[in-house]
Amino acid sequence: MAVEHFQAKVSEITRLSAKFMQFHFELVTPNTISFSPGQYILLEVPGIQQKKSYSITSSVDLDHAIEIVVNTAPHGDGVRYLTSLTPGDKVSFYAPAGIFTVAPISSQIGAEEKSLVFVAAGSGIAPIKNMLIHQLRFEQDTRPMVLYWGLRFEEDIFWLDKFQDLAQAYPNFQLHPVLSQATPAWKLCRGRVTDCLSIHPMIDSAGYYICGRTQMVEDVKTLLLQKGVQQQHIHHEMFN
Amino acid sequence: MSDDQQAVSETSQNGKYRVQVIRDKCIGAASCVAIAPKVFGLDDEQKAFVISEDELDDIKLLAAQSCPTAAIIVTNIETGEQVWPQ
Repeated sequence: MAVEHFQAKVSEITRLSAKFMQFHFELVTPNTISFSPGQYILLEVPGIQQKKSYSITSSVDLDHAIEIVVNTAPHGDGVRYLTSLTPGDKVSFYAPAGIFTVAPISSQIGAEEKSLVFVAAGSGIAPIKNMLIHQLRFEQDTRPMVLYWGLRFEEDIFWLDKFQDLAQAYPNFQLHPVLSQATPAWKLCRGRVTDCLSIHPMIDSAGYYICGRTQMVEDVKTLLLQKGVQQQHIHHEMFN
Repeated sequence: MSDDQQAVSETSQNGKYRVQVIRDKCIGAASCVAIAPKVFGLDDEQKAFVISEDELDDIKLLAAQSCPTAAIIVTNIETGEQVWPQ
């Protein structure tokens, strides 16, 4: 899929939690998009030459619009621009970009991955959610799949109902939310995602798909390599 | 094709911009590959490298401006000026 330049219109802005917002962009020209789950857009920010990368979180079957999720806590140029938008505003971006996609089962690497482990931190969940739903619903992938999702506070969590619904509908999917600043009442994993990964038994022949800040991805990669996971089965997307 | 047309064609293909990847800064997002697949590739460690300079200057510049870590330096070889990052 070649990169194209898109003009779009903001049609909906949703606050998902105190930190995270979702933006729905209705495509104008071209008016349809084709992409793979895990890919991202390169948003043009007025007055800034550097393009800002945001993973597409909407499903591939929604071809006339895209959705992105943004952590609004860091006040960079991209966040300042996005949070200034209101429905009806025009935006432009290049898409699709990126190679962070689930290895096709028809490929050698994909065929070797007998289960899939997704590891996300913060808004790193955006491409992961898309990949996970795509594999379960559209690919009808029956391989065991586990999601480790790290956040700081309980109030940061969003989409929990979506993931719980998925776990109900697809017994091959398990969710492990991990909080680094959990209250004493929190009964699930606490600490960093690496802490949770460390104490859980390793899954044989798994492909690992990691998305988060650079340091988090490096930490997870180091842990997995120490545990004997082969480099070619560690797929990642980093952001600053 | 006249000599003049040939010269224009060669200039537009090779251009005046040269690109260089700072390997340590590259995080393998592959936006450069998406924008300019003739110019950039990814190696075994998912780090970008330059395959060829055979591309329009605007495309090379856009690829550099798409890099989330500004790991691509664009230099104007006619003036010696660093065009990106500014």
